[in-house]
Amino acid sequence: MVERFVFARIQRIPDSTLRGLAERLARLVLENWFFALVFVLLWRFPYIVADLSGSQVKPSRPTGDSAFWQSEMARALTLACLAMSYNLLFGFSGIVSFGHALFFGAGGYVTFILMGHYDAGLQHKALVLVLLVALGLALFSRLRARALVVVTLSGVLLALLLLPAEGAISFWQAAAVALLLSLIVSLTSGVVTLRVRGIYFAMFTLALAEVFWVLAKSGTFRSYTGAEDGLAFRSLLPPALNVTPTADGSRLTMYHWTVVFFAIIFLAIRRYMSSPVGRVMLAIRDNEERAQTIGYHTLFYKVLTMVFAGAIATLSGLLFMIWATDKIVHPDTLSLAYTVDPLLNTLIGGVGTLTGPVIATLGLHLGETYLRNETFTLGTRVFGLLAVWQIIALAIAGALVGVFRHSLTRLGERLIGAGPRTPRYERLMLAYRGGVFVTLAAVLLLIGGQLRGEAEAVYNVADLWDLFLGALFVVVVMVLPHGIVGTWNRLWATRRLRRLERQMRQEREAAGASKP
Amino acid sequence: MHSYFAHLSPQHRRSWLLVVAYVAVLLTISLADFGANTAGQTMFRGVLLGMLIFLVASGLSLIFGLLDVLNFAQGAFLLIGAYVGYDVYLRVDGSADVRFLAAIISGVVFVALIGAIMEMGLIRPLYARPVFQLVLTFGLGAIFLDLVERYYGADPKQPLAPPSLLNSNFSLFGQSLSYYRLFIIVLGIVMMIGVFLLLNRTRIGIIIRAGVQDPEMVQALGINVWRVFTLVFVLGAGLAALGGIALIPYQGATLGMGNQFLILAIVVIVIGGMGSFEGTAIASIIVGLTRAVAEQLSLAHFNAPVLAETSVLLLMIAVLLVQPNGLFGRGE
Amino acid sequence: MVEETFILEGKGLRKEFGSLVAVADVDIRVRAGELHAIIGPNGAGKTTLFNLLSGNLRPTGGTVWFKGRDITAEPLHRRVHLGIGRSFQITNIFPSLTVLENVRLAAQALGGDSFKFWWHFRRFAQYTETALTAIAQVGLSDKLAVPAAVLPHGDQRKLELAILLASDAELLLLDEPTAGMATEQVPPLMETIRAIQRGTGKTIMLVEHNMNVVMTSSDRITVMHLGAVLAEGTPAEIARNETVQQAYLGELYGDFAGIIGGAST
Ligand SMILES: Nc1ncnc2c1ncn2[C@@H]1O[C@H](COP(=O)(O)OP(=O)(O)O)[C@@H](O)[C@H]1O
Ligand SMILES: [Mg+2]
Repeated sequence: MVERFVFARIQRIPDSTLRGLAERLARLVLENWFFALVFVLLWRFPYIVADLSGSQVKPSRPTGDSAFWQSEMARALTLACLAMSYNLLFGFSGIVSFGHALFFGAGGYVTFILMGHYDAGLQHKALVLVLLVALGLALFSRLRARALVVVTLSGVLLALLLLPAEGAISFWQAAAVALLLSLIVSLTSGVVTLRVRGIYFAMFTLALAEVFWVLAKSGTFRSYTGAEDGLAFRSLLPPALNVTPTADGSRLTMYHWTVVFFAIIFLAIRRYMSSPVGRVMLAIRDNEERAQTIGYHTLFYKVLTMVFAGAIATLSGLLFMIWATDKIVHPDTLSLAYTVDPLLNTLIGGVGTLTGPVIATLGLHLGETYLRNETFTLGTRVFGLLAVWQIIALAIAGALVGVFRHSLTRLGERLIGAGPRTPRYERLMLAYRGGVFVTLAAVLLLIGGQLRGEAEAVYNVADLWDLFLGALFVVVVMVLPHGIVGTWNRLWATRRLRRLERQMRQEREAAGASKP
Repeated sequence: MHSYFAHLSPQHRRSWLLVVAYVAVLLTISLADFGANTAGQTMFRGVLLGMLIFLVASGLSLIFGLLDVLNFAQGAFLLIGAYVGYDVYLRVDGSADVRFLAAIISGVVFVALIGAIMEMGLIRPLYARPVFQLVLTFGLGAIFLDLVERYYGADPKQPLAPPSLLNSNFSLFGQSLSYYRLFIIVLGIVMMIGVFLLLNRTRIGIIIRAGVQDPEMVQALGINVWRVFTLVFVLGAGLAALGGIALIPYQGATLGMGNQFLILAIVVIVIGGMGSFEGTAIASIIVGLTRAVAEQLSLAHFNAPVLAETSVLLLMIAVLLVQPNGLFGRGE
Repeated sequence: MVEETFILEGKGLRKEFGSLVAVADVDIRVRAGELHAIIGPNGAGKTTLFNLLSGNLRPTGGTVWFKGRDITAEPLHRRVHLGIGRSFQITNIFPSLTVLENVRLAAQALGGDSFKFWWHFRRFAQYTETALTAIAQVGLSDKLAVPAAVLPHGDQRKLELAILLASDAELLLLDEPTAGMATEQVPPLMETIRAIQRGTGKTIMLVEHNMNVVMTSSDRITVMHLGAVLAEGTPAEIARNETVQQAYLGELYGDFAGIIGGAST
């Protein structure tokens, strides 16, 4: 609406350079005002919380709620970056990786192992080893992977240059090496496995991540990884990055840097997806063979995307760990949990949407934090509306209808006759579906009411959170495959399309009427 | 068998040679490095592990071959089977034999039921959206793991006594071994032959194999493919549960066992070739042997048992590189 | 005799699917600038032959030569850059993308900017221009913003053609471009194709069942049957060919051609 009005006004500007400028400006504002608003809100978030809760935000020493919510928000933002990187693969490119956690955990492990055990000679040997492995892969795989050899070689050389020949390694150098390693790993495994069927890729990534998880947990490398206890890095962290609430460090600054990091990642992904490469990725997701038939070397684009996603995951993982209260890199950061988490958030928010994963991650993470210590019984009312047991009954009824909708449709067609999709048929079907739902809900409500009388047990939100997420996951996969944002977008797109069609029909009719 | 080798494609013939050569190499290494007795024990352990992996992998391979669904919840089936079986074992009164039998039956039936519900209610509506199918089984695996932890706790369960019938020992390669281990191997072989016969000698097997080749054609012949799909899914789930219960007297029940065997089964499928039953059987044993030899090697030389875990993955990567469709896969 | 130059040659092309021989040792030569039709009953192997020429399938045996170069080993995506474009018998488009985006991507593929992930795609307006021209040629300009999946079938066929036009290939392999279209839509589309050929001098290989169209507009015709070439020649030669008439035209297309002929006059 606003858009059309503004552009109509701009068209009336007589001077063409001025018009071009105005157009670009208008587009910039129209496309970004919402994100700018969100950015400002995130920036001011510690102050808002402080105002609401009466706690303090001193530049260096926040207290109470403000401090607590700062780290929660910061962690949520890094997890949102992880989800966005997963969405880049899964949503925008149709690549299913079950080993994304490998990149998430690797950032912390590599950085802090390097810092803790830096020995110039040994690192060089390790890098030479990596180089040999990459070379071997490139030579023995049946691919013409010259580009791979070149890139891997230059990556390793760059890493070598980053390493000081003697003395200690700084945090930034170590982080850069970690990033390079992640690039090399994603590049190599991408080239090797992305050319075969997607299912091999899913299996391969799962196995790879699992092995590193086992390695990280095993006692064999305890002196490096800390085994199951994790890698404690408090002493390794440069003071500027120390965000413990008690430290007179630059906690609030660090929070703001995290917001900036998030904004950069968001913008980078947005730009990537609207770049020529991103357009090709959409084409590949839709129909890979067709993309090849119009001249795209699809493997190149897929590997590029995987490398990009891996790099983002590595960086957000490192930042996530910096915000950890106990200053420990846990082996769990390499585990399935950190693949399932972004996958879930991507699905719930909306596969292949820009904002979906962010909304879902922030909502679920902050929601859990907020409700973690709450308890409830089956009779507790939510927002003063329905009681918990009533919500559960309705959700079960909805889920049943959704999950069995195919069988239900078949049954319904047997009842009302499988007609063509006439309005009458649709109406009957709707009434039938509604009837089934209402009946089911009524029965469940009755049963629930009975049960509720007996069970006055007190539940912890924290205990049941995973279960809630699991149920949400199944429901989304089965009945809401486009997630929250995706469904919303679709509704709007359908409306716009309808309007377009109506317009075209009217024009055609008008043209037909004027002809004779 | 005679005609089997006559009809092999060149690729499969080469794969057979590779397999024989690889096993020979493993054998030589163990003989040279550990001495005859330890080598024998290692091989025995390898075959044992291979049989256990086979129970999970065959289900995975069957389901994938027919339904084109890679069931990432297969590890969770093993896990649930083990925990439910364990629970029943402790609850039932009677001799160890009765309790064990009860554990097997209840665990397998329970998991088969879950499999049936999952296939009919959740997998089936998603055949048009294969990516979501993949994601769904993966997510369900995580959810099942979570549920088992919630219900049974995170502590590992100690191994239980095997049935009295199998609770005595025999001597092999200078080591005293429980008959139970021999039983697992026999169970594995029986299952191998059983599934082989089911696939090759029964009507339902012919339908399944035809369905693997061309589901639409089978549907066109007026056979209810859906029911066959459910059956195969249930069969796969049941086999995994059986594997889980068979593990109880051997290593108890732990939350990690599901994913551990899922990974091994995945490695097996990649090596053997997706959807190929012979490939799955052969690769199971190869992976078991590799794992056992690597374990023994790292124990003897590096004192780093985790290297065994990586050895299997390296094997998988090697196969992926030289033969992306697996040793006995259908070439595309 | 002077050696003739051919833009595309298939030598001894063979494709087996298991025990089925879909294309059996086919030799085919196409001269630059001609409209070369391939006809034959369903299952004759025409689509498979196209797949071998375009690189969608690897041949079991034989070689493909383009402008005097052996391209048998060239992967699918490279052949487009060499100048071979194709359309599909079964509509093969990007369903969730808009009409404009479908075609724009084909234009973008040919330029050297596809890997520039740091610029917005709007920066490369030349591809949009190319796409708009191609879309205008097939007459879909009023549906630029419509997702391809919701287009009616006839429009999807046009979109398929527009994607091909935007690729700016020298040699167009058109696999039944009018398949499944309403009868009254066929002549305009064929007219577009002929106009393109005349205007740009592109070489066109065309699979088509409408004998009227084939006989009137093609320069040469290859008749395929059971994976092999039955006959090859000008329309007049084919019409005169006894074998073709007996084995094929009379039997299979006799009534059919009559009906179509009657309808279009
Ligand atoms: N991918 C494939 N796998 C197996 N058989 C195929 C495949 N593609 C085509 N065929 C078979 O090859 C033969 C030729 O098919 P096709 O080239 O599509 O014929 P046409 O285009 O002339 O109608 C047919 O018998 C068809 O069933
Ligand atoms: Mg065809």
